[in-house]
Amino acid sequence: MSTTFSNNSFIFHEQIDTQSISDLYGDDFPYIEEVFTTVLGEYEMLAANILSSYGRRDKAALKSAVHKIKPIFGFAGLTGTQHQFQLFENLCQDTTSFESLDEPFKSLQDSLLRSKLIITEEKKKLEVFNRDRS
Amino acid sequence: MNLTCIIVEDLQVAANYLTRCCERSGQVEVKGHFFNVQDALTFLNENSVDLIFLDVEMPDANGFELLDQIAFSPKVILTTSKKDYAYNAFQYNVSDYLMKPFTYQRFIESLQKIQPSKETISANSGSDHIYIKADGKLIRLNNDAILYIESMGDYVKFVTNDNKKYITHNTIKNLEEKVSKQHFLKVHRSYIVNLHKIDDMRENMLFIKGNEIPVSKANKADVFKRLNII
Repeated sequence: MSTTFSNNSFIFHEQIDTQSISDLYGDDFPYIEEVFTTVLGEYEMLAANILSSYGRRDKAALKSAVHKIKPIFGFAGLTGTQHQFQLFENLCQDTTSFESLDEPFKSLQDSLLRSKLIITEEKKKLEVFNRDRS
Repeated sequence: MNLTCIIVEDLQVAANYLTRCCERSGQVEVKGHFFNVQDALTFLNENSVDLIFLDVEMPDANGFELLDQIAFSPKVILTTSKKDYAYNAFQYNVSDYLMKPFTYQRFIESLQKIQPSKETISANSGSDHIYIKADGKLIRLNNDAILYIESMGDYVKFVTNDNKKYITHNTIKNLEEKVSKQHFLKVHRSYIVNLHKIDDMRENMLFIKGNEIPVSKANKADVFKRLNII
């Protein structure tokens, strides 16, 4: 299921907060496409930092990497994912054992992969949408 | 445009969005975007700006380290997603926080916090005098008659060109906003001077009719900027 933009002109993925997108960019769809393109351009490196710091069992680096990627989701309207990453960052702050992060990290990793797919798909749809409108 | 700024931010999407907000406002000219603290510092060693949009968690250093190393005191708006910088924010005179991503409306509200109202600017630029409360009365002082203003704790001392001294309950910080920007400049946390009265400057001292006024490291660049150096 997908949700509709306020002027019914573009249908975003259901996990994208259309109100947030509207608040940030209005109905400037070429700019929204530009934002999604930029987000994808940065995504790989930011995600890799998370995975490598987890692999090293480095809690401080993991917390920092999660903190760094967090706004990316907000810019793409994935406010739920941004919140999930905020909670994980808080957990990194509060916990003393790295082991307690293992279970929540699985869910975080799933979100990391799923979010990239959503952003990629939305970017493609935006390209078509903007091309058709021009 | 009435403000110049730089953006210190390692997320490209955030820097682009902020640049767009600045352009849209018509109030802020972006002089540069820096992905790390060192590059920003190199720029600020040669250039002065009114405002820095600063992400605190940067790859090479904490953003506050940048503020430690520059020789002037720009306004600072933190662009971050953490609220726990309160102590540092107080120390560095941070004007506001912008939590990423923020709306354009929120950006404008942030700008309004650092810009004096149009009414204030108009009142300051149009007036050639001030009134102060001293000796139980309101005393008119022409801008041209004031040599400098010195902090005395909860009081300030106005020194005039006829060697009179007027002590009144006020602060340098408050006066900095109220006196004519054309005439006066804060050169030290304890001193505001009349730029038209400076006789000479040696090292970190200004001389006005035999009075020695210290210039702080943080204000030195502003002083040079305002003096008519040929």
